[in-house]
Amino acid sequence: MLNRRLTPLSRAGILAFIGFVLLILSRFVGELRNYQGAQVAVYVIAISSITLLTGYSGQISLGHGAVMAIGGYGAALSFSLWNFPFELAILFGAAVGTLSGFILGVAAARLSGPYLAGTTLALAVGLPTIADQFKVLGGEQGLSFDIGDAPTWVRKIGGADFTQYKWFFWICIIVALLSLWAITNLLHSNYGRNWRAARNNAVAASLAGINVARGKVLAFTVSSALASLAGALFGLLLGIVTPTAFPLSLSFAIVTGAVLAGVSNLAGSIVGAVVLVAIPEVSGALATHLGGSQKVTANLPGLVTSLLLILVVLFMPNGLRIKKFKGKK
Amino acid sequence: MLVHRRTKRGKLAITFVATAALAISALPAHAVNAYKVDGVSATTITLGITSPLTGAAAPGYNKVPYAMQAYFNYVNDNGGVNGRKIKLIIKDDAYNPVLAKSVTNDLVLQSKVFALVGSLGTAENEATTRFINDHNVPRLFINTGYSGFADATKYPTTYTVLPSYVMEAKIMGQYIKDNFAGKSVAIIYQDDDFGADALKGFAVAGTKFIAKIPYASGSQADPTVVGKWISGLAQAKPDVTIMFGVSSATAAALGGAYKAGFKTQWILGSVGGDGTTIATVAGPTAVGLLYGAIGASFLPAPTDTSDPYIAQFQAINTKYNAGASFDNNVLQGMNTAMLTVEALRAAGTNLTRASLLKAIAKSGSTFASAGFAPLGYSASSHVGYNGYWFGSYGPTGAIKPIGGTYTLYTTDSGSGAVTQTVSKRPAMPAKGLPNN
Repeated sequence: MLNRRLTPLSRAGILAFIGFVLLILSRFVGELRNYQGAQVAVYVIAISSITLLTGYSGQISLGHGAVMAIGGYGAALSFSLWNFPFELAILFGAAVGTLSGFILGVAAARLSGPYLAGTTLALAVGLPTIADQFKVLGGEQGLSFDIGDAPTWVRKIGGADFTQYKWFFWICIIVALLSLWAITNLLHSNYGRNWRAARNNAVAASLAGINVARGKVLAFTVSSALASLAGALFGLLLGIVTPTAFPLSLSFAIVTGAVLAGVSNLAGSIVGAVVLVAIPEVSGALATHLGGSQKVTANLPGLVTSLLLILVVLFMPNGLRIKKFKGKK
Repeated sequence: MLVHRRTKRGKLAITFVATAALAISALPAHAVNAYKVDGVSATTITLGITSPLTGAAAPGYNKVPYAMQAYFNYVNDNGGVNGRKIKLIIKDDAYNPVLAKSVTNDLVLQSKVFALVGSLGTAENEATTRFINDHNVPRLFINTGYSGFADATKYPTTYTVLPSYVMEAKIMGQYIKDNFAGKSVAIIYQDDDFGADALKGFAVAGTKFIAKIPYASGSQADPTVVGKWISGLAQAKPDVTIMFGVSSATAAALGGAYKAGFKTQWILGSVGGDGTTIATVAGPTAVGLLYGAIGASFLPAPTDTSDPYIAQFQAINTKYNAGASFDNNVLQGMNTAMLTVEALRAAGTNLTRASLLKAIAKSGSTFASAGFAPLGYSASSHVGYNGYWFGSYGPTGAIKPIGGTYTLYTTDSGSGAVTQTVSKRPAMPAKGLPNN
């Protein structure tokens, strides 16, 4: 997928094929798997926003949960207040998030390392609670973002028992694949090369005529666009957008996903997303199997995530990926 | 960061594995249920609950599901419900609607629960509504006082149990009118739908405030915020001050007033008035600050062992819920579990989701429970308790009815009048085992 020799068109072909297979598959599995599949797709977009920002542009953000909140609120607000159709609402959410990302990016370009991490962390802590303060944002109750069932023409294609969760799966998979296609192309363009150059050696990059600061702002903006798009889809999956839907732990979860994936590995974002969705289920099964006390059960997912993170950083610093094939060179 | 030059085959392999991982995640969760009704077999009834077991909202609330489980185990040891044992699956949502939705999905689609009981939180229940409605899953006795859930058209399978915050405020307003006529009143309230519901109720009751002090949920942890509450109160000099917030805010307000030497007659909302929870969040000495305050409840005081329900529930708690101190949370959990058992019994041996909902609509108002207020269930109303009694706190944080008897005020969430009655509730079934 990341092969530089592939043209954008052939990448589109591969992704379209993957999408086709997944959509067909959705007909044969239960609602729970469809919902989880949709969650995976949303996490793929969110994690790839971190991959792009950290892995390719070298900036660290612990506050992308807040950017997701901006996207979610933008979408829900335009949907419930101004009666936008949901497709437009999602785009609107992403547009608001992109704009905020640009403003943030201008500030971020002046900061680096722990300072940038701290600033974005503060954003993740503070921003979602702002919604409590404004009536138009629905307070603690949040804003409804229930898009209802799939339109008739989709249900005709999708089959008789085309539930809402299947519809969610379709929407999220299509958006995720489109996003992956766009990011892959971007990373293989001039911009992607400039980001990598600036990340590896900023001084050398500027001597080579690359505008490092502008590149950083652009990377933050694009990354925010992706995160807010994921946030809008997140709201769609929930049917509601509330301050508690975007807790600090969400920001950490997507960074965790990116680290598990190997932070400069776009295809790995799918693996990271699957792991994030699978952890609660796996640890739940583990807890039942072990028959531990209730407190253990409740805290097990956190423990599994932390352990996995530590192990990956120690033993597989490039993420959960299969060993390189000994291909001919 | 590292950049790896990988071979074409390597990349293709990664893409393949990633796609396969996604595809595997889409494989069927498990085999199809062998029984006709989800969660019901010849020998068991599986129920589910979502509640905060971890996170900021967990202290206190995390006791509710285990108290329910303890009561169900007690019933199971005494023959179960129509020959079936009740199994309760408890899921942590950390008071987060995202998690609530995902664990509710698990409960309904994977664990195949028959019904949800006692799920906690307004936003958490709201987030799962659409899914619950689509799947026609009974959602009984939810732990939230938000008045919106009374809408039986919007929430056809949902039954509330707590009186709404609007009812509580209306009743409190009436109580102030009756007992503190001509006195000046101030209020500290949580500035969200919780507080908005309360202000709505006070407006209907015609309560006039000389000072209204809103606070953002969570800001009670900041001493300067609490300092502002108290200086605001000291300036307005109210005779009566209503505290309509959660336990940590109550503890902060009482502590701040004590330190500043500010005196007023405190009236505490039911949510923030549990002595044991205040001791958990603010330390055991904080309960002393409750002394002399007035509080409202619809259940008997958890310390009142002369009450048959309390005595029975305490005995069950000792045997089946080892290590948990008996407080309002445990009481609320056991009481909800008792109502659940009665609802399941009323639905009969041929248990279906439809028969369960029908049984509550038909006979829910006659269920025996510890609550002093009547249950309002009928074909058109899904609202549970609709009243409160007032008590005063002793030096140990225990609440006792004012005047020694439980005088009950009842009302609705609309513009209906507040009426004062002497509580009459169904007698407790022998050994606390429903026999309806």
